[in-house]
Amino acid sequence: MWWKTLSVILLLYVITTGLLVPLKPGITHVTPETFKTGQTAEIQFHGYNTFYSRSAASDIRIWLEYDSLHAVAGQNIRILSDTTLSAAFTFPARLPRPTTSVMLNAIIDHPADGVSLLPGAIEVALDTAAPSGAASWNQTPVSQLHIKSDFTFPYRNVIYESIRNTYFHVPMWFALMFLFIASVVYSVRYLYHPQPDFDRRAAGYAETGLLFGGLGLVTGMLWAHFAWGAAWSNDIKQLMTAVALLIYLAYFILRRSFDEPEKGARLAAVYNVFAFASLIPLLYIVPRMFASLHPGATGNPAFGSEDLDNTMRLVFYPSIIGFTLLGFWVAELRIRFQRVADKAMGLD
Amino acid sequence: MNLNMLFTLLRKEFLLEFRQRYAISGIVLYVFSMVFVVYISSVRVQPPVWNVLFWLIVLFASINAVVKSFVQESGARQLYYYQLADPATLLLAKIIYNTLLLLVLSSLAFGAYSVVAGNPVKDPGLFALVLLLGSLGFSIAFTFIASIAAKANNSATLMAILSFPVVLPILLTLVRLSQIALRVIQDTSYQRDIINLLAIDAILITLTFVLFPFIWKD
Repeated sequence: MWWKTLSVILLLYVITTGLLVPLKPGITHVTPETFKTGQTAEIQFHGYNTFYSRSAASDIRIWLEYDSLHAVAGQNIRILSDTTLSAAFTFPARLPRPTTSVMLNAIIDHPADGVSLLPGAIEVALDTAAPSGAASWNQTPVSQLHIKSDFTFPYRNVIYESIRNTYFHVPMWFALMFLFIASVVYSVRYLYHPQPDFDRRAAGYAETGLLFGGLGLVTGMLWAHFAWGAAWSNDIKQLMTAVALLIYLAYFILRRSFDEPEKGARLAAVYNVFAFASLIPLLYIVPRMFASLHPGATGNPAFGSEDLDNTMRLVFYPSIIGFTLLGFWVAELRIRFQRVADKAMGLD
Repeated sequence: MNLNMLFTLLRKEFLLEFRQRYAISGIVLYVFSMVFVVYISSVRVQPPVWNVLFWLIVLFASINAVVKSFVQESGARQLYYYQLADPATLLLAKIIYNTLLLLVLSSLAFGAYSVVAGNPVKDPGLFALVLLLGSLGFSIAFTFIASIAAKANNSATLMAILSFPVVLPILLTLVRLSQIALRVIQDTSYQRDIINLLAIDAILITLTFVLFPFIWKD
């Protein structure tokens, strides 16, 4: 069958590109992190996936930026290694707005690597004792950046390389949703045309959906352990997912609770439709009412447009199709096995 | 479906309950025992905990009150109803009856629990509305699940495992709304939560009427 081949090809593509394509260069941290106004300091920038020595130090530019109008450029830039840069900064005597301290973003522009950014990299506090100094906030505005558009995944602080889990964790939920929809469709068909094959299909798709739900939960917990510090953190989406899986476990118990298979199949089909409909508020209404650690949490249960870039889309969408087709393939095998088993027991 | 039949069926539910007074007395005693057990194990608690404990009492009391609505009537009597009434009317009568029953039970639970553990409710109007909406939501979900569970041998276990996940969105919204009534959290736009709750109820009741004829036929 062509779609089984397609799913294998897509998943091979997803696993190779998803795991091997490098991340864009980024800045992990800056040392030291706190300064005072009017101070002149030597600052070190620590890069990730960077190759600073590939171009001359004079071509590299570094800014500490407050907003598009206020930035301080680094002087006397030196390349210490491929991942370490050092530059001298002289902070102006006043802060860009009347407050006691501001956070500045670090921007490094490198002719070969491109631009990398670290939001809120350092803090500058107002030094009331020494209100003098020649430097100003807008001598060298951030301009003429080298924007690179090569095939790399975005660098994000906190999640780093685990951004690749997007291609495995999220498609599990897509596959689960498609499988549960197929299961409900066959349950409805069973109610109108009670044939044992429709019941087998409904159960087979639900079982495979449950498998993908388990995998989605495990990949999610691994990711949460890395990014949020704990595998289970009382996040509303984790809770709702666990409940959704409980519903389908209850479905299997209900299916087996009757002496006559026909009665069990019919009542399980009814419960499947009912449970699927109550899954909609569980997954799309309730999470909107609570804060979540997941991206796009406030008012939006899915991804925001800023969570994926075009390179990621090239792997993410094939991954959804690949895992969904794989899910239907597994379900098909499960259903065929059950059909043979039922025949052998004389139930069909 | 006609109103006459609905009233007759409702009257039947009340009569049945009146003649089998031990059943309803059992449930009322269950509520009081539970309030007492919860009180003894926690004594006086802060409003957030009070809220959670109160809804747990109401949840368990509701399950036990509703599960009997199909179990107590034998297969032969079900067959008799099947010949006389249409399933939608029968189910509607049961849902209305159970809503009233749960409203009474949750008011009793509230009365008993506030006597022993104090009454932290700051907005009685909203809290009464939450109790009403809660009774309605629980009644719809539990009546339907009870009609499925009654067909199996292990109906008490099935009732719990089938209904807890289904009723969770309703319960979470209720707890949130009653936190607002207790002024545990501040939220002026709670109308949205009430609309959410009514939307969930609407989804469940529509499905109930579509699906009940399939359970009914045996």
